[in-house]
Amino acid sequence: MKKEFQFLGKDFPRKEGRARANGFEKYPSDLYFDNMLYGRILRSPYPHARIKSIDFSEAEKLGAVCVSYEDAPGKRFNLRLVSVPKATYKDWQLFSDHMRQVGDFFGAVAAETEELAEQAARVVKVEWEILPAYMSMDAALAAKDNLIHDKVFLEDQEIKIKNNIACTREVVEGDIEAGFQEADVIVETEFETPRQYHCQLEPRSCVVRPEADGGITVWPTTQAVHNTRILIGSVFNLPLNKVNVVRITGGGHFGSGIHTNPVTLITTALALKSKRPVKIVQSREEDMYDHVRYPSKYVLKVGARKDGTLVAGHMRAYIDIGCHHIQALAYLGVMSGFWHSLYRMENMKYEGTAVYTNKVPTCAMQGYGAPQVTFGVEGTMDMLAEKLEIDPIQLRIKNYVGLGEVFWGQGPTVKSPIFSDGVVELLKKGAESIGYYKRPGSQKQTGRYRRGIGFARGFHTSGTGAPVPGEVKDYTTVQVKVNEDGTIDILTALMDHGGGTLDAAAKIVAEEFQVPFDKVGISPADTRSTGYDVCTHATRGVYCGAGAAHEVAKKTKDVLLEYAARYLDAYPDSLIFSYDEKSGQTRISVWGNPEKTTTIAAVAEHAMNKDWGTAIYSKSIRKVACPPAYTNYFVEVEVDTETGHVKILRVVAGSDAGTVINPILAKGQLHGGFYRGAGMALLENTSYDDKTGCLTNKGSMIDYKMLGIDEMPDPDDFEVIFADTYEPTGPMGAKGIGEAAFNPAPAAVTSAICDAIGIRFTKLPILPEDIMDALGEGHDK
Amino acid sequence: MENQLYELTVYVNDKAVRGKVRAEKTLLDFLREHNFTEVKKGCDNGDCGACTVIMDGLAALSCSTTALQAEGRRVYTVKSLGSWEKLHPLQEAFVKHEAVQCGFCSPGFLMTAKALLDNNPMPSRNEIRDAISGNLCRCTGYVKIVDAIEDAASAIEEVSREA
Ligand code: FES
Ligand code: FES
Repeated sequence: MKKEFQFLGKDFPRKEGRARANGFEKYPSDLYFDNMLYGRILRSPYPHARIKSIDFSEAEKLGAVCVSYEDAPGKRFNLRLVSVPKATYKDWQLFSDHMRQVGDFFGAVAAETEELAEQAARVVKVEWEILPAYMSMDAALAAKDNLIHDKVFLEDQEIKIKNNIACTREVVEGDIEAGFQEADVIVETEFETPRQYHCQLEPRSCVVRPEADGGITVWPTTQAVHNTRILIGSVFNLPLNKVNVVRITGGGHFGSGIHTNPVTLITTALALKSKRPVKIVQSREEDMYDHVRYPSKYVLKVGARKDGTLVAGHMRAYIDIGCHHIQALAYLGVMSGFWHSLYRMENMKYEGTAVYTNKVPTCAMQGYGAPQVTFGVEGTMDMLAEKLEIDPIQLRIKNYVGLGEVFWGQGPTVKSPIFSDGVVELLKKGAESIGYYKRPGSQKQTGRYRRGIGFARGFHTSGTGAPVPGEVKDYTTVQVKVNEDGTIDILTALMDHGGGTLDAAAKIVAEEFQVPFDKVGISPADTRSTGYDVCTHATRGVYCGAGAAHEVAKKTKDVLLEYAARYLDAYPDSLIFSYDEKSGQTRISVWGNPEKTTTIAAVAEHAMNKDWGTAIYSKSIRKVACPPAYTNYFVEVEVDTETGHVKILRVVAGSDAGTVINPILAKGQLHGGFYRGAGMALLENTSYDDKTGCLTNKGSMIDYKMLGIDEMPDPDDFEVIFADTYEPTGPMGAKGIGEAAFNPAPAAVTSAICDAIGIRFTKLPILPEDIMDALGEGHDK
Repeated sequence: MENQLYELTVYVNDKAVRGKVRAEKTLLDFLREHNFTEVKKGCDNGDCGACTVIMDGLAALSCSTTALQAEGRRVYTVKSLGSWEKLHPLQEAFVKHEAVQCGFCSPGFLMTAKALLDNNPMPSRNEIRDAISGNLCRCTGYVKIVDAIEDAASAIEEVSREA
């Protein structure tokens, strides 16, 4: 059922837009405090080494405050607190003498100026014992001693590491042996996806200020203020009411702030030791050694019957997770989940192995495991369609997991039913708009420039809620309050990363109260004033976060209705809200009694003057589903067969986000998601010099190649289609969009290249030289 | 590191800003330490454009300019464009078109765009793409930024025609 809305579905400029455009917005790196020290992190130049001794005397002569593993609390932890303890591997320590990657941290210094801190860092003397480095999974798996980690903890249980295997996970449904016997065709392919770097424009940074009460205030680059607070409390043994983490705008996250960044803990250590405010702004190079997307390498085998029904699938994945766990167990779980939830398959087996190497620790990046898995699964669907001689779109429609079915995108412990589904509509409209069935195909083209049209579909879960508790935490606490002039404040630790999550909450609350958008404000938030919110991740912002705001707004409205009923001498159930555009007021009236009418403002003021109270409510809300936000991309490319260069000519994006809260912001999510996804397909990767263990891009943004503005299609050639759906469990019919906007993009670009030149790539990124090689050899890569 | 300090005055947003700096101090650090934190540091290496200011009428990367090179010159940051009450048409257009997501790149883009429109009031779409090709935005995919600059150019043109 679709509803008519007063405010939803219309374009509104975001609330923070003005502050950000006129330079008033403050980011962590912009904060300066009196008496503040500047910190520098001490880092390993070797990929694998042990520190024999460390000498701070010269640095201390410069007046620097120094911390290292010698004054480390020693506790083991995981930086990411999204999973429940029993599913959390702990292999991090705040400072260790065991260095596991180039850029690993063993200490830090703080001094009066940036220059002095830099000088002090340079004069710290270290004696090293160099260990053999494992720069590939093969080398790491072959190792018997000098392991990257000897032991780690799963919750509190000690686990001995063998062959650098960080963890494994197996998920089985049905019987694949029997399943494959039923198959008429089988496709088996190895796929590989790159170590994409988030490259958020603000490097991860932090400011920490000790307070007079013995506590600290923290301004970190984070997506999760509460988890940051809990981790700081546990690492430094501080009571949580002495740790206040402030929500502050970050210059982009893309997943790099779901876990607490090491810089936050290091800055805290310096502030606690110096008893002065400390700021650390990481350089771009340091940031590149800090976080990166999980790469994936897997063999995917899928069997289908002649009529296109999928009968069995087997995925064997090896994940090079770098030198630490930022929840690789969860990653393996979602790989199986995203795969299994794209297409129905009674018999499936997933085997995942996470392997430590002496590289940058891997973490979530937009889409988490979905883009990696979608790349192989969609490639496989194209190959099956070709073998079975079935139209690729029809093959998807026949097998996709949709309305009325159960899916588990966020891993086997997060199962959720599907109540809304725009897949068929979007595939049909997209194909029509781009002229999918009129494409010439690779066979008919001979010139230098060849054009191709491809597509891929995918989804992301809207959050990680489910009817029963699983391995992932998911709830948000919100307070909604009606002020004495009828304006409304929303207080929550939920975060916005630029996509408009908090705006969506404000808009939904505005709609509920029938007050204009500018009368609803988002209060500044910190961990002291708000209840727990797990994190803005997993595309949960609108569905779970703004959804919680909606549930709480309804409760606040009940309080207001009580007051209004008393004021008007009527019953609460007989009152109706309506927005009067002329007066700009929201009226509350008694039905059938037009003379009995007032405004929200009058009721709120009266309630205060009569000492009835404030209309206010606060509650933690857990969503009991995580509906799929479906997306597909149809892409037209032109391949230059003399240079291997791929130009993206046209994009038709299809998005099923349920009710679209703010179309212009939702479109922005698709533009950005496609841009980063196409980047993953065509050039983004971080590689290493195996001898030195250093990144080959040397920490430079220019050498970390991303698509430039010239490689994005013109605004007129980027079309967005929204599905006409309504999610019954969502706030006013809405579900998520964020990561769904990324997930099928790499697969869609790959499919378009295949349509242009007849070569299917199974390894990303597809560089011009790869295209030239493949054209020369004339076969798939 | 040379420890000698040099005195200098830079005219930032039409105000004299005085300081003492080492020879290698970048204009970017000088500005940020004097509370012009609207000038952002994305790389400190000339790669991202987040630190773009206008110096003597041209867009300049303040991380690749020393403070001493700016001695006695006029430097404008994004805060010179509009005010709280009244945004510059470029800022209006960035907000309206949602060319601002996390916003970290916006001050740099706006100054590059301002320098472009000052020198070429009605640029073609290709000229716009060319002009901003040195600025990185990780959020938007650039689509809305091009839209916004194009729209701002027409808005400015309209105002000047009416005047
Ligand atoms: S900070 Fe100057 S170009 Fe990046
Ligand atoms: S808006 Fe975030 S980098 Fe451009």
